[in-house]
Amino acid sequence: MEPTLKILPDVSGQIAGRSLEEWNAAYVKVENYFHALRIRNKPLLGRMVLRVLERAQQRAPAEPSRSATELAAEEMDKFVTEWFAAVLQISPAGTDQMLSTRGRLALLLCDMPGKWQDQFLRPGPWPEEFVEAMRETFFRAGPDFQLSKMVPRPLDLGPITTLSNFGKLPYVRMISAWLLFGLLLVAIFWFTHGGFDRVKSQLSLMLESVTHLNR
Amino acid sequence: MADAPTISVTPLPRARRGWRLFLFYSSAVLLTGLVSMLFADLLWRTGWSTSRTVLLSLFIILFLLTAIGCMHGVYGFFIRIFGTKRCITALKSYQEQKIDGVSTAIVFPIYNEDPVRFFEGLRATYESLERTGQLDRFDFFILSDSTNPDRWVEEERRWSDLVRELDALGKIYYRRRLFNEERKSGNIRDFLNTWGRRYRYFVCCDADSVMRGETLVDLVKLMEASPTVGLIQTMPALVNAESLFGRIQQFANRLYAPVFISGLNYWALDLGNYWGHNAIIRTEPFMQFCDLPQLPGRKPFGGQILSHDFVEAALMLRENWEAWLAYDLEGSYEEAPQSLIENAQRERRWCQGNLQHGLVLFAKGLRGVSRMHLLLGIFGYVASPLWLAFMLTFNWIYWYQKFTGLSDIPVESFNPYLKNWSGTEHAFLVFMICMIVIMLPKFLSLVDLARDWPRRRAFGGLLNATAGVVGETIFSTLHAPLLMLWHTRFVITNLAGISVGWTTQRRNAAGTDWLYAVQRHWGHTLIGVVWGWFTWQLDPTLFWWFTPMLAGMVLSVPLSVLTSRRSLGARARSAGLFLTPEETKPPMEIVSLRSRLKIHELTENADAPRRPHAGLAEAVLDPYVNAVHVMLLREKELNPVYAEQFARLGAGSDAVRLLGEKILADGPDKLKPSERVAVMADQRVMVWLHQQAWLRPEEKLAPWWKAMIREFSHREN
Repeated sequence: MEPTLKILPDVSGQIAGRSLEEWNAAYVKVENYFHALRIRNKPLLGRMVLRVLERAQQRAPAEPSRSATELAAEEMDKFVTEWFAAVLQISPAGTDQMLSTRGRLALLLCDMPGKWQDQFLRPGPWPEEFVEAMRETFFRAGPDFQLSKMVPRPLDLGPITTLSNFGKLPYVRMISAWLLFGLLLVAIFWFTHGGFDRVKSQLSLMLESVTHLNR
Repeated sequence: MADAPTISVTPLPRARRGWRLFLFYSSAVLLTGLVSMLFADLLWRTGWSTSRTVLLSLFIILFLLTAIGCMHGVYGFFIRIFGTKRCITALKSYQEQKIDGVSTAIVFPIYNEDPVRFFEGLRATYESLERTGQLDRFDFFILSDSTNPDRWVEEERRWSDLVRELDALGKIYYRRRLFNEERKSGNIRDFLNTWGRRYRYFVCCDADSVMRGETLVDLVKLMEASPTVGLIQTMPALVNAESLFGRIQQFANRLYAPVFISGLNYWALDLGNYWGHNAIIRTEPFMQFCDLPQLPGRKPFGGQILSHDFVEAALMLRENWEAWLAYDLEGSYEEAPQSLIENAQRERRWCQGNLQHGLVLFAKGLRGVSRMHLLLGIFGYVASPLWLAFMLTFNWIYWYQKFTGLSDIPVESFNPYLKNWSGTEHAFLVFMICMIVIMLPKFLSLVDLARDWPRRRAFGGLLNATAGVVGETIFSTLHAPLLMLWHTRFVITNLAGISVGWTTQRRNAAGTDWLYAVQRHWGHTLIGVVWGWFTWQLDPTLFWWFTPMLAGMVLSVPLSVLTSRRSLGARARSAGLFLTPEETKPPMEIVSLRSRLKIHELTENADAPRRPHAGLAEAVLDPYVNAVHVMLLREKELNPVYAEQFARLGAGSDAVRLLGEKILADGPDKLKPSERVAVMADQRVMVWLHQQAWLRPEEKLAPWWKAMIREFSHREN
């Protein structure tokens, strides 16, 4: 049954103790949500919003501390959830918030915005086809799991394994230090036994060639 | 394996396969030997030195690689003329093979891809398969590894739209991993661990893959007819290129690849390779043998195997399963980069993976042919620094000869036929042989085209195709030195373990922008100018010899920008240049894909800037997207592996609930990216956020939410 409510402002210009501006904000809030649900038919949309507001106005005198928007938003949520419960035949009492999620998914999968806008939030009975579409929509992101576990087989890389772990070999740092020391000795020997002169002659050769290039 | 396969395909006797390998590679070695002798003789004429030994060694390696390429062309050409029975499609009469009761999964691993292009490609494949009437035997899996929350939510939304439009709920599945460990190979492994045992085969596709329905059915029939085959790789044709660069690559792929791959199949036969996508794989042996171990040691060689495909094929072959290239099956498509820079970015990734194969090369038990595949892959990149070293050594010898005061001692050629030739004529002969070896496969591809009237027409006629080959050759001559410099850099930085980060390419509708091209190519230009100056100073004649290489470097910026232009690609097309069969007579799948992308282009403003965290806003505020998102999370929690990962993310904990409260009150910017992902991965918090965002008065929400709610309230779809 549609609730009988006063929808006209009283003498003070208020509805259920709230200003018209407050109810306007509440209207926008509820309309936005239904718009997000892709209700595009204006008369339908307007009727749904008004019904939610009427429910909020019913509650309003008992809860003077709460804004019209808060009341309307809560009523909208309740109204939609109750409707989902009725259509999907799930008791709203004691259900978690998943009922709303399941309901929205059912709306999407049965293409409510495209095919069944006129049935949304309408009290039953609903067309059989619509009820079936809502109740029978299932949602599968994947088939049943058939769990197993792939196990990598080790690759025998032979001597490469040893090479790739070179840094972890015992004493490798010590041996590297000795090798560096040896290289240093070789370098000193080379420089002091004519190597320096060879470098000098190479450099002068290069300088000569650069001069030649510039000419 | 518990159920060892019964051999029904008659594999080529080992000795005969060995003979093919011997013949093929001996041809390359013989050619290399002869030309190297000629080159050594040339070097001998000006007096031998250590640097000449280095130069000759480099020449031998580089020429051998070129000769191997040339032999692929030559052998492939003759195989296409005389035909062969040694290809997977000719081995069995598979067309009548029944595939009732055979289940195949078509998997698309994706990672932050363009969702519009990806889903339209998938739709084209799905619809094509539907037309064959065999859709019931296949399931599609979108295996997302996307880390960008906006992409994640958009993928979910587009997936739910697609399954509703195609009535494909229960046929096209979507799964996103919470942690993308081990990238693509880990993604596939995760799929196999969860659902692999339901499917006898799986077809691995890339995000840009499109496959014809008949081709998919043929692949399954081929597998059913050949129980010892572990995988069949198709040869994807490049399609949908619009820029000049993309169209040139596409043309080269379509014209040359059939000849080259026929040559490859000549020696590889049932020991073929896997390129990571557009291939069908037998699930059971893949699961048993192809899970990749971590390599010992540190990066760049140690750790996770990056280029997994070659290694997976090698592991399959090690266990005596066969791998074939079904190169004559049409209807397998992919896309390629649209600019030089995009191409180089892809090369950088591949380079790291291929170099890593240097370790796998020595793994015990691998087949020799697998090692050959790996080695050729490695040399695909190592050849560049070798080429650079060759050029530098040559310059060094020239410089040394000129400025040491040592006179040339031109001696006669050792070869009696060249005794009266001057050094320059001798050098020109070597150069011409090198050019012939490089160009011969292209020429043979043209001859191959000339023999086939319908194919010739599909390329826009022989004249257009010839002009295309000339254009492609000029372009690749300019492109090659850039690849040389890039590859050299990639090889050196990879070996040094340095990670080179590249910023995302700045593209506009026309292509690469000039500033970005300068940032990426200034080094190439500088090297070209300095090198050019140096050779000019040395000898102007030498400079002119080096011009093709230097021109590529000096002109790299305009080359990069202009070839990335769609307008030039379109102009070349209207001039009949670089036409491919998929352009002149596009297959239905490609027509469908392109027309749908056009519709998206016209109806969605893709260039409009998206608000930050648009994905989060959509997942919270949109009643349907929120429902899909939450249900996907809920279903995933049933998998114990994911349940454990959810716990790792803190899903269901008070901490995440508090983060949810913070996101509402302060806006998403106040959370770290990892915290936002944790919130989005918690189904209970996402349900609560949806409710709270719509219930709370605006003054209790962050300004960002108010703006987003207003935006959602005015959206038309």
